[in-house]
Amino acid sequence: MSEKVDVVIVGAGLAGLGAAYHLAEAGLEVLVVERGDYPGSKNVTGGRLYLNPVRPYFPDLLGDERIGEVPFEGRVVKERLTMVAEDASTTVEFQSSRMGEGPMHSATLLRGVFDRWLGDVVSERGAMIVPGYKVDDLVWNEGKVAGILSAGDEVLADVVLAADGALSFIAERAVLRHRLEPKHFAMGIKELIELPPDRVQERFGVQPGQSASHLFFGSLTQGMLGGGFLYTNRESVSLGLVLGMGAMLDKGDVFQAHELMDAFKARPEIQPLIAGGRVVEYSAHAIPESSVNDMPRLVCDGMLLAGDAAGLGLNMGITVRGMDFALASGAIAAKSILEAREDGDFSAQSLARYEVALRDSFVLRDHRTFAAMPSFLENPRLYTLYPEWVSGLLGDVFWIGKSPKESLWRTIWNRVRRLPWISALRDALKVRRL
Amino acid sequence: MAQDDAQSSIEILSLEDKLGRNVFKIDKESPHIVIDHDICRQQCTLRPCLFVCPAHLYTFNDERDEVFVDYEGCLECGTCMIVCEDEALTWHYPRAGYGIQYRFG
Amino acid sequence: MKIVVCMKQVVDLAQLRFKSDGRTPVLEGLPMILSAFEKHALEEAVRIKEAQADVHVIALSAGSTKLKETIKEALAIGADEAALVIDPAIKDTDVSGSSRLLAGAIEAIGEVDLVLTGEGSDDEYSGQIPSRVAARLGWPQITTVRELALAGEKRLRAVRDMENSLEVVECDLPAVVSVTSELNTPRLPPLTAILKAGRKPTQEWTLTELGINADEIGGKAIQIEVLSNLAPEQERKNEMLEGTLEEQIDALLRALEHEGVLA
Repeated sequence: MSEKVDVVIVGAGLAGLGAAYHLAEAGLEVLVVERGDYPGSKNVTGGRLYLNPVRPYFPDLLGDERIGEVPFEGRVVKERLTMVAEDASTTVEFQSSRMGEGPMHSATLLRGVFDRWLGDVVSERGAMIVPGYKVDDLVWNEGKVAGILSAGDEVLADVVLAADGALSFIAERAVLRHRLEPKHFAMGIKELIELPPDRVQERFGVQPGQSASHLFFGSLTQGMLGGGFLYTNRESVSLGLVLGMGAMLDKGDVFQAHELMDAFKARPEIQPLIAGGRVVEYSAHAIPESSVNDMPRLVCDGMLLAGDAAGLGLNMGITVRGMDFALASGAIAAKSILEAREDGDFSAQSLARYEVALRDSFVLRDHRTFAAMPSFLENPRLYTLYPEWVSGLLGDVFWIGKSPKESLWRTIWNRVRRLPWISALRDALKVRRL
Repeated sequence: MAQDDAQSSIEILSLEDKLGRNVFKIDKESPHIVIDHDICRQQCTLRPCLFVCPAHLYTFNDERDEVFVDYEGCLECGTCMIVCEDEALTWHYPRAGYGIQYRFG
Repeated sequence: MKIVVCMKQVVDLAQLRFKSDGRTPVLEGLPMILSAFEKHALEEAVRIKEAQADVHVIALSAGSTKLKETIKEALAIGADEAALVIDPAIKDTDVSGSSRLLAGAIEAIGEVDLVLTGEGSDDEYSGQIPSRVAARLGWPQITTVRELALAGEKRLRAVRDMENSLEVVECDLPAVVSVTSELNTPRLPPLTAILKAGRKPTQEWTLTELGINADEIGGKAIQIEVLSNLAPEQERKNEMLEGTLEEQIDALLRALEHEGVLA
């Protein structure tokens, strides 16, 4: 049996739904195939979405008028960053009126809630979202992608958009990528911990509708690239750990990833924040963190890649992004598909306009700006030496002992002296390239 | 008093209990992870699957001299597949309608 | 021949979780699916349709607007059309009201020969709907059917599951038949069937359009009131035994004796 539609989208995540939103609006017959029971059922986010970059791509959805209908968990008004040493830690907290007022800067969300909502919005626009079906393979016609195969059933399309996530098996089928390399990925582990809303607000000092974001780096990853995160939701907190896969391989057989999560959770900085909470979900997901230099081609004859499938995740050190790129790349892919359709040409050459548009957009501009970040973040000193050093220094400054206290300058100098200066200087020079 | 105690403690769960909080629709008929034990034995020395898996589904069976995977608790992150550079794992997504179904994600 | 399959939209129980008290189910936001028993009924209807000419299968359901999505599965499996009663008043009704509006819809469809449905629904399993619908229509009813065949024009033969025996019965059509999961294995419709399902006709009614007053299915018409819906209390004592291993073993033996597990 075979059927024909205008566009098949593989995956009802943010990239796929972002594209379907615009394609359905333009009146195309769009089929979105989702292997989970509902959109979001196979997805995990840390969780937050940066809104400013994506708002121009979805003005109706994320503009002032309708933003109240979006099932966000909360508007992020507070940023915390903690450098974690073995038995001490240093936290910086930032808040500004700018984050609490005007158009929303960023919001926390849960994919099982958000994606389902977006799926409903997209269905209403006329796209057909079919959950519970898996795309097994592509259908080819004269060297071009001509459709998809699901449990032996063929659906043909003018063009296929692979938005099937970080592990994109579809990109692999189209030979747009080869084996996934450990150094290009991180693993995220997350516990969703339920707490009453008033307790969340009290503990994190936020109002109803507001959220706090808290990132951690240092000894919790035992020198491996990665860190911890905590985002507050309406009636839960998302607590998790990110570990670079390459770093885990280098570290070798001396740790258990899941035990690092438990150790993180049991830290004195975390315990009081989640006390009395109940774990309601334990999740994990791969996160693409490759540099733009390692990005695959994003189009071939009859097909495009978007979102995580295109490797569009970016660890900028202090901020981690992916969902904004997914939504925007979906919108940009949709625009390119519509243009290619005008030309009646879905060849790789015609679809290359998508790559050009992405390069001109914030998506790949940000990736280019931060191209040096992934290798910079591989430096183990970021997770061991420096957090320990900062905490040691502050420990000396704050500590009053039995013996007379040294002058502030001497206290600082004693610590500065003990830094391994050659590596520190080398690291400082690298910072300039970020 | 008892309530206060409960609220000041954190829930440290075993992995079984953590996974028990999730929704899994288990495919008894076809495992989605298959290990090629020959490749695993002959080529892999590190066996990263034994320590990277967030659900700790991989264990080593001394008697049989092989790695065992309990695919039923798989969170579908794909980490094992990516770090298994010797490609001893055949890993695909579970059949449609099966596997983890995240309620929150 | 016209077959109506009554199908209930229920929450996906695999997704059910409980609040921190361990007893109160969280029902908000759960995905909706078609109740499992009714899928066996639908499968049977589609098999009858495939085996002979001129059979028209209608999937009938009642509930919220979400139904329009949920019912697509029935259309993909092979129903020719969907008939939906969509009204906000429906969510508060009981078995009496539900049977009233199902019977009303069956009458509105007209010239129905056979009504098939499941023995009970995944969520409440009261098992009353088939009998109540049959009573309202004044038709014969056969319950716990595990095999079904047409026995000539306007006659039906069914094998009933009596647990320890099988009973073979016949009746004239029109009739209401409720089926068990032994009847067949429902098919998984292919993706293309889902695509085609979107193009099949769907008839929609409100209560008013069926000539039913909201007070016929709500308010005083409600005969059975649900007072609570909680998971049973777990009678676990959760006694922690402390001390050295020997002490713990002794304590365990004493506890088991005390509970009468060990003589």
